[in-house]
Amino acid sequence: MKESRKIIGFVFVITVICIGAIAAVMYMYPIGKPEEKINWNLTLIGTAEKVVAFDELKAMPSYAGYGGFFSTVGMINGPFKCKGVPVEDLCALVGGINDSNTLWVSAPDGYMMVFTYDQVKGDFITYEPATLKEMPHSPLKMILTYEQDGASLSEDDGRPLRLAIVSEDKLLTEGHYWIKWVDKIAIRAIKNQNKT
Amino acid sequence: MKTIHIAVLVLLIVAVVISTAIYQQQEQEQEETKLKVIYAGSLIVPFEEIEKQFESMHPGVDVQIEGHGSIQAIRQVTDIHKEVDVLAVADYSLIPDMMYATPSGEDYTDWYVKFATNQMVIAYNNKSKYADEITESNWYEILERPEVKFGFSNPTLDSCGYRTLMVTQLAESYYDNPTIFDDLIACNFEPTISVTKEGDTYIVFVPEIFEPHAGKVVVRGGSVQLLALLEYGGLDYTFQYKSVAQQHGLRFVELPDQIDLSSTEYEDDYKKVNVRLGFQRFSAVDTERVGRPIYYGVTIPRNAPQPELAVEFVKFVIGKKGQRVLGDLEQPTIQPVTDKFDVIPDELRSVVIKETKK
Repeated sequence: MKESRKIIGFVFVITVICIGAIAAVMYMYPIGKPEEKINWNLTLIGTAEKVVAFDELKAMPSYAGYGGFFSTVGMINGPFKCKGVPVEDLCALVGGINDSNTLWVSAPDGYMMVFTYDQVKGDFITYEPATLKEMPHSPLKMILTYEQDGASLSEDDGRPLRLAIVSEDKLLTEGHYWIKWVDKIAIRAIKNQNKT
Repeated sequence: MKTIHIAVLVLLIVAVVISTAIYQQQEQEQEETKLKVIYAGSLIVPFEEIEKQFESMHPGVDVQIEGHGSIQAIRQVTDIHKEVDVLAVADYSLIPDMMYATPSGEDYTDWYVKFATNQMVIAYNNKSKYADEITESNWYEILERPEVKFGFSNPTLDSCGYRTLMVTQLAESYYDNPTIFDDLIACNFEPTISVTKEGDTYIVFVPEIFEPHAGKVVVRGGSVQLLALLEYGGLDYTFQYKSVAQQHGLRFVELPDQIDLSSTEYEDDYKKVNVRLGFQRFSAVDTERVGRPIYYGVTIPRNAPQPELAVEFVKFVIGKKGQRVLGDLEQPTIQPVTDKFDVIPDELRSVVIKETKK
């Protein structure tokens, strides 16, 4: 009995010492890297032109919502909780967008997509994640996201800025809209295509 | 003392079990060779089977397959700089265009093998309106009917989309009816899709905003969404590759060879329709698509992490066993031909022939 008590006491003391040591180490060297500074500029072109640094963009009023996407072969990603700046707010910095405009969003890897004014306002088809069946949705918002599920974007997810379509619902949109590594947004007049 | 012995023994057993499990997992990870294969979306069904068969023939090899649109598949190597062992795309011509000595001076590969083909069809199911009436000679009249809804994929996103525009434009000459394109496509879009004639060639202009203005025509990003819509009754007909229609158990109308982009015999006719896209979605590829027969191509990028295994995989795909898998799963094959017989890996020479240029 005496022997057992001794052992329990010994184990208790060792445990307390270990917990104390771990706590001290964690205090001195906190887990995870400190948030590194991101050097990234977003060029906005409208009636004016403006370059917005990543930190400036992050200081703008943000919007958070749920959204996910699927690839051309039906590979599903998300839905995630995305936080970022509404694209309409960014357009407003360079004169705003209206229904005679289109929005040209591009990235340094040479990828670009053109969006209608209605799409900038949230006119997209949404899909149910389990079946890819088209579903009605609550109002959608097109945002430039920098945070996904509470963490900064990873390189593969388009760090530091990715276009995302989000809402209160956990629904999907087509993946080609979710442009990674966005560095330029241009507002342009709709071209006249009637060349016959 | 007894208690100490038991405690030490239990701790030892736990330590041994944990370290053995970790060791085994590490060993397994170290021994498994990963082969990264990126392929065109329309190959998804046969490549899943090819993956299984190749892995069963090569214990310790994990074939990691990933599907994309053909241009996106190549961009994984050229623009996103992923290390990929094998690339298989639905339009072989993208390989020389995007991977041979690019303007940036990069040279990602210098050969391809054509190994499969396809043809454009109009897919439908038993619920489709006029399902028992549609034929090769009246399909465009059925699709024109006000109560019929049809769909195709977005030509700025998917090769099947711009091939749909080619088929409908080619149909005008074949059926000697100069309003087929206007009645089926152009009149349903705002801004419209216009066609001009330059010499012998029709140029179809796809505007930067590609949106049907009424409910009759449905445009989606790719086959996945169109097939789901067809299944749930949101569509009556959709333009598809024949292999995709067959793999999904759909009914389909086969179109004449002169317009379905399947035949080398009509290559010169196909060339008479080009599709010009309103914006350059990928800086690596220009905006003009030329009508040509559908041929799938495969290659091994220069930076393939497992080049020898990649050669074995390609040899399997284009060899008898792979071609049987493709054929069994409705993906039509061809005698594999290469543009650079002297350049391709030695091991492939026994299964390919040299392409003869016209």
